[in-house]
Amino acid sequence: MRVWHNGRLEGASIRDGGDGSLTTVVGQSVLLAKLQDMLAWGRKNSLWPLNFGLSCCYVEMATSLTSVYDVARFGAEVVRGSPRQADVLIVSGTVFIKVAPIIKQLYEQMMEPRWVISMGSCANSGGMFDAYSVVQGVDKFLPVDVYMPGCPPPPHAFMECLLLLQDKVGKERRPLSWWFGPQEVRKPIMPSMRDAKREERVRRREYPTTDKLPRTDLLSPHFAGEFLDRPASQP
Amino acid sequence: MNHRPSTIEDAPAHFSGLVEELERHFGSEGILAVQPTKDEITTVWVDTNRLREALRYLKSEIPRPFPMLFDLSATDERLRRNHDGLPIGTFTVFYRLFSFDRNQSVRIKVPLRDEHLSLPSVMDLWPNADWYEREIYDMFGIRFEGHPFLRRLLMPSWWNGHPLQKDHPARGTEMGRFQLPPEKLAMAQEALQFKPEDWGLARRHHDPDFDYMFINLGPAHTGTHGVLRLVTQLAGEEIIDIVPDIGFHHRATEKIAERQTWHTFIPYTDRVDYLQGVLNEMPYCLSVERLAGITVPDRAQVIRVMMCEFYRLASHLVWYGTFAQDVGALSPVFYMFTDRERIHAITEAICGGRMHPNWFRIGGVSQDLPIGWDKLVRQFVDYFPSRLDEYERLVMDNPIFRQRTVGIGAFTLEDAMAWGATGPMLRACGLPWDLRKVRPYSGYDQFDFEVPVGSHGDCYDRAVVHVLEMRQSLRIIRQCLEHMPDGPYKSLDPLATPPPKERTMQDIETLIHHFLGVSWGPVLPPGEAEVPTESSKGQTSYYLTSDGSQVSYRTRIRTPSFAHIQMVPFMARGALLSDLLAVLGSIDFVLSDVDR
Repeated sequence: MRVWHNGRLEGASIRDGGDGSLTTVVGQSVLLAKLQDMLAWGRKNSLWPLNFGLSCCYVEMATSLTSVYDVARFGAEVVRGSPRQADVLIVSGTVFIKVAPIIKQLYEQMMEPRWVISMGSCANSGGMFDAYSVVQGVDKFLPVDVYMPGCPPPPHAFMECLLLLQDKVGKERRPLSWWFGPQEVRKPIMPSMRDAKREERVRRREYPTTDKLPRTDLLSPHFAGEFLDRPASQP
Repeated sequence: MNHRPSTIEDAPAHFSGLVEELERHFGSEGILAVQPTKDEITTVWVDTNRLREALRYLKSEIPRPFPMLFDLSATDERLRRNHDGLPIGTFTVFYRLFSFDRNQSVRIKVPLRDEHLSLPSVMDLWPNADWYEREIYDMFGIRFEGHPFLRRLLMPSWWNGHPLQKDHPARGTEMGRFQLPPEKLAMAQEALQFKPEDWGLARRHHDPDFDYMFINLGPAHTGTHGVLRLVTQLAGEEIIDIVPDIGFHHRATEKIAERQTWHTFIPYTDRVDYLQGVLNEMPYCLSVERLAGITVPDRAQVIRVMMCEFYRLASHLVWYGTFAQDVGALSPVFYMFTDRERIHAITEAICGGRMHPNWFRIGGVSQDLPIGWDKLVRQFVDYFPSRLDEYERLVMDNPIFRQRTVGIGAFTLEDAMAWGATGPMLRACGLPWDLRKVRPYSGYDQFDFEVPVGSHGDCYDRAVVHVLEMRQSLRIIRQCLEHMPDGPYKSLDPLATPPPKERTMQDIETLIHHFLGVSWGPVLPPGEAEVPTESSKGQTSYYLTSDGSQVSYRTRIRTPSFAHIQMVPFMARGALLSDLLAVLGSIDFVLSDVDR
């Protein structure tokens, strides 16, 4: 334990940054924020997904929990089996007419605040399964916060959408108490990624060919890094 | 590599022989017609009132009998244009049997003509007819007399109509916007309520102080590997009976096949068993090629075999990790998914896709192998065996894993045949029956590999078969690597779709073919073909009926998981509730493969 002595922190060095004076150290270690912002920050960085899988997308969602991708880096690895303990419902797969009432029930069993990620083309719009047994998009009966394209979206696309949701959750403002302040939930309007990435996509001129392999060394210690360097969710 | 036909089916001698045996028993008036098919599977039409007699004869009386009901489904014939002189009615029900002694299949077809669509049930001959008959009732509205629980299997109980009838809407967008108001939600939840009396289960034990307990597992349960629902009847912790409820993953793939062209249906096959990628495309493409009479070039065949084995490894790795997790070992899955990523690095380099590569084409594969593919594959086959050793120490030698699986969920070879079990489920009982060996396709007869078997038919032996199979897959991949033939990656047959792109800019004929094949789809000659293959979970086959157009008239998808999940009550009766999870984990099933 370090001790204050004559207004300076004992053993303070350049490495800590600053001169070790009271003002600097307090500035370094005390975060002044509105309670609202702090709660939003806490919510944002500990999203607990519900362990509920529908189809192919769930396998990619589960893959993002494992070592190569490790979604724990974003605080979302605490996958709960019970909807009562979860706050993100990831609709990972095809929404069948037979399973829609079950998804709805699970959503209603989740406590507020709760969010929904629609993972993959089937959950977004029915995708390639325009079929009698498939609901054409989970947003027909649930509010969706983030839509994730892909069939199935690879794990890095899953993580990108998780970050987008975190962004949204961090900007959301909720009433602090029943007694004071505004009582409504203020949800931010998030920019469309299609518009945000349009420039970059239009500029893109080089596409992978069969002459060049995306990865050449399966055993390198940077194996995982090579995955993550790639641009996520190509259109 | 020598040139071989892509499949070896029944020799014509067998073909005529079986028909003669049937004629000797029935007299020629008992047989309505003998149908020539492209796959050379003996196909015999019989009358409704002789059906049970014919099936009983084939199952138990004929020398070298047919003990397995491999598949059972129907066709709505009302819009069929090509009758080919066959006694086609409004609906046809077909029974596909298999004989291990003969290594031969036979298809018995029954025409149904009147408005009263009904057949006698064959549940007393084969226990697995249960779900197949319920599926036909659900999809076609054909009734089976004597079936104790003839009710919907895949669609919800409140559904109107029978989806595979030709006049049922195919598209979700044809059926109006989906809505879920509270009263519909309440109705659907009410329909899901389990009432033991409906299934002939007693609530009370004969001991008056003792009630059975009913526990509902799923469809949202972490141990059922997806949306599967099992209602268990328990006496204490002992399982008395189980009623599985499936259909939560019914994606209507068979109906979709009736609107997609032969070529544009390939991506849908990927998603039938979403863990095994091209292993689904293999039986479909082989059947289409058999129908079209296309010979696949050697290089394409070997590329196909190599990719199939990679996807078998990927699928088995998911099974390995999740099975270990199901019985309590939480860390192996992290190692196995890391190696699965290495496999997907290869599949992505070659096919461009991870789980759903959409890589096979009618007559070959989509592209040639990329430059440098051999380096990646060699790195993997050199690296992976030591990992398998480690996994064996981690999982198979683990005393807890052994305690949870040895002697659990065991059944005999006769049971396996009676229930239609294939793949590792069958081989764990001791029969080395692998289609890659006994009916080689795509040049598997040119490879040197063994068929691992178990002996006890329990959960542990099923695991052993899976694990040993992975080593054999590696062996096959190494042979592909070392002996990859040169030559084209796609056939030059006019029906191969799409034709090689390089030539389209050179001559107008290929350009026209390319345009028609891509925009309208190739027109396949009328006929029927089915080439079963050994996929990661058992035998998969696509029974295709063409009436001479660019779409399939009927596509029947026979999947192994459907047959295996039907066995769960049989396997788990008398076991403890915790054993049920071990049984489910050992089966290696995927819900999309069950419900299609």
